[in-house]
Amino acid sequence: MTRRTIEIGMAASFAAFLIAVPWLIPALTDNFWVSVITEILIWSLFAASANLLFGYVGLLSFGQALYFGFGMYGVALGIDHFGLSFWPAFGLGIVAAMAMALLSGVFAVRLSWHYFAIITVVFSLIFYFLAVSMKPLTGGDDGINFSPPPVFRFGGAVWSLTDPTFQYFFVLAAVTVCFFLMYRVINSPLGKGFLAIRDNDLRASLIGLNVYVLRLIAFVMAGFLAGVSGALFAFFGRYASATYMFYQVSGEAVVWTIVGGAGTMFGPLVGTTLFIVIREIVSSHWEHHSLIVGLMAILVVIFAPKGIVGLWNGWMTRLGERDAAASVPPRLTLRADP
Amino acid sequence: MRDTVLLLAMNGLIWGLIIALIALGLSVIFGLLDIINIAHGDFFMVGTVLAWFSLSVTGNFWIGFIVAPLIGFVIGAIIQRLVIQPIHGVAALSIVATFGLSLILQEIVRITFGATPRRMLAPIQGTIPLFGVDYEIYRLFAAVIAVVALAGFFLFLQHTKLGIWMRAVRHDRETAIAMGIPAQRVYVLTFGVGFALAAFGGAVAAPITTVDFRGGVDVLPFCFMAVIIGGLGNLPGTVAAAVLLSFLEGLIQSFADPTVARISSLVLMSAVLLLRPQGLFKGFTK
Amino acid sequence: MSEPVLRTENLTRRFGGLTAVDNLSISLAGGRVHAIIGPNGAGKTTFFNLVSGLLGPDSGRVFFRGRDITGCKPHEISRMGIKRTLQVKSVFPKLSVADNLWITRQARSRFLHPFRSAASDLQAKSDVERTLGQIGLTGLAGRPAGTLSYGDVAMLEIGMAVISEPSLLLLDEPTCGMSPAETSRAVAKIRDLARTIDIIIIEHDMDVVFGIANDITVLAQGAILASGTPAEIADDERVREAYLGRPEDEDFVEEAIHA
Repeated sequence: MTRRTIEIGMAASFAAFLIAVPWLIPALTDNFWVSVITEILIWSLFAASANLLFGYVGLLSFGQALYFGFGMYGVALGIDHFGLSFWPAFGLGIVAAMAMALLSGVFAVRLSWHYFAIITVVFSLIFYFLAVSMKPLTGGDDGINFSPPPVFRFGGAVWSLTDPTFQYFFVLAAVTVCFFLMYRVINSPLGKGFLAIRDNDLRASLIGLNVYVLRLIAFVMAGFLAGVSGALFAFFGRYASATYMFYQVSGEAVVWTIVGGAGTMFGPLVGTTLFIVIREIVSSHWEHHSLIVGLMAILVVIFAPKGIVGLWNGWMTRLGERDAAASVPPRLTLRADP
Repeated sequence: MRDTVLLLAMNGLIWGLIIALIALGLSVIFGLLDIINIAHGDFFMVGTVLAWFSLSVTGNFWIGFIVAPLIGFVIGAIIQRLVIQPIHGVAALSIVATFGLSLILQEIVRITFGATPRRMLAPIQGTIPLFGVDYEIYRLFAAVIAVVALAGFFLFLQHTKLGIWMRAVRHDRETAIAMGIPAQRVYVLTFGVGFALAAFGGAVAAPITTVDFRGGVDVLPFCFMAVIIGGLGNLPGTVAAAVLLSFLEGLIQSFADPTVARISSLVLMSAVLLLRPQGLFKGFTK
Repeated sequence: MSEPVLRTENLTRRFGGLTAVDNLSISLAGGRVHAIIGPNGAGKTTFFNLVSGLLGPDSGRVFFRGRDITGCKPHEISRMGIKRTLQVKSVFPKLSVADNLWITRQARSRFLHPFRSAASDLQAKSDVERTLGQIGLTGLAGRPAGTLSYGDVAMLEIGMAVISEPSLLLLDEPTCGMSPAETSRAVAKIRDLARTIDIIIIEHDMDVVFGIANDITVLAQGAILASGTPAEIADDERVREAYLGRPEDEDFVEEAIHA
């Protein structure tokens, strides 16, 4: 069994599983898990935004919740306040998040990494407090509720998120598209530029890369991902609240990413799945599940600093070396690790 | 109106002195160990809880002033040894580790102390007339204690062996090791000192604020603000910044929301980070 | 008289109380290999940093082929054709050797395509393969650059310098830390490059210097002590003094010149 066959097999079964969820899950267990999986998909996209910055560009952002919040409120206020229909509201959320990322990125990306991490928190806190103080508009920590308009109208047929199966597939499609875009970017010349900056930003500038501009581009792309996840979250919960802009939310995204494996495509997904599943399973029996979350974060960081997917890649590399020793010389690979 | 301003400014000043102790702990950890300690607010919170427990167990409030920093020191040293050291100072990993630590500390307190916030009675009851209201004597007393503790800490840094070692390692690690200073041990003890400072601040602050497992969440950003605006590695700067910020927030609160006051501090902090990241105050920088 | 490839006017840079580069006016003609030598702290690397844009001068100007590049950012200067290596070997450790070369080549263009697959650029791929052959690292192409031996990293750096098709190449102690075999390999490669590229090299290894340099400039305390052909420099009293202090022992001096 070569590494490639194992990975293709896993990817295929994973894809099959995801597609089968709305029918497979209710057959095996509670319906409720379909919405948990939907939530996992949304949050893993959020974690992916932290992963893009940290794992691929070397920028540790502790404030992605800000762009998540803009995406979330863009949708909620778009529908509730401006009476927009589905797609314009979705668009508003995404554009708002990207605009905010551009605006804050212009300043933040200039800083060296300690100060960058801190200023991302500061920016997100400023807007958190603004959101809390503008309670009539945003509902503060209590939030606002709204009912989402239908997604598609074809002739007489109406597709809406109130149908849990449709909602699941919509979220799955959106998240898949985003991950696919991320995949293309990482394997593109731009993506290689990101990796170079991550590894050695001084050398990168010496070979002609404009480090500031590339970091800014990455920051806006991450803002896009966070904004989409925020918008999906608003649609999914029919709800928006300032609490989701607090720094602890950003921190969770970072933790899930690092535990899952920073700098890998599936790391954020694995990390998010792990933590949310643990939360759901443990919290029904014991209310102190955060203890387990905290413990896991510490244990992974000490014993598996490359994260779960990082561990997996390590095993697979050793497997690959074993194969290579047995057969052909190594190929010239120009692909980033999945 | 003028009285309200003075009152709130006074509150701000006193709170700033207490926060200065906590921020100093963070500055020491950040400056020496290069760790962004997400759990630092929770160190403060643990201090308030330790004060609560020592009061309910012994009936004596003042014992808390000894118990909190002592236990805090031990816990801090253990954490450094078990959690921080194995990570070999890889900064991003230490953020995740301290984040996990924060969750663990909050949950342990929630389990042992409970989820309901509680108020602690001040050991010195009574008020004196000040600025048109009856001002709690304990607040003034707390300010004095904080000043004494701050002075004591700076004396400790100047005159004790550990203090001198800490300064040496922060100034130039390689030379310090070459001179025979056990750097690893200094790191362990430094983390302990950082926790102890925060915990002591918690014990002093406990009667003024609530004892609550979520009490650290609000303190944390403020401490970072003090450390950044004061200047990384600049300990007196951190103290000055803590007092100044808290004082300013108090002033602003007299005519605006506390939230607005907090936002203005944050905006100030952003300005400092962008324009003068080495902080506003001159002093011994790293 | 053609335009010198690199010229500085009264270039000065201070660090606190220390003047690293002191009113330096230097003019280096094209088509030759220049070596810059001098005792430690003479300001050689600071000079490179000023030319490549990593530092800004306190006063003075830098001209590249007649164009004033003072104050330009490092990536802009790189785009103009000046490439350099660093004193402490510096590559992209987590990227493969091939990727190191690939991104160096790609950095030449203004625009990095965000969606096209990197592997689909066949021209780039063949350039990378050719350069790998030139520096002899074809077998290590897939290895992360951080796992390479010191000598191989140095060759990779030279490869990165080559693939970027520089107009002026600044080499900062390229043979530092190399074994004799690796050194001759590197020297041969540099001689090869010198046929088409203008090169300025900082070196401590006098064998290398006297072996490949057409002109030598000696810096001491941030200023030019002497400059000329290798023969002239070898005979220069002031050079010996700068390296050693007062020459007390003839043998000692001889050894130092040939060190």
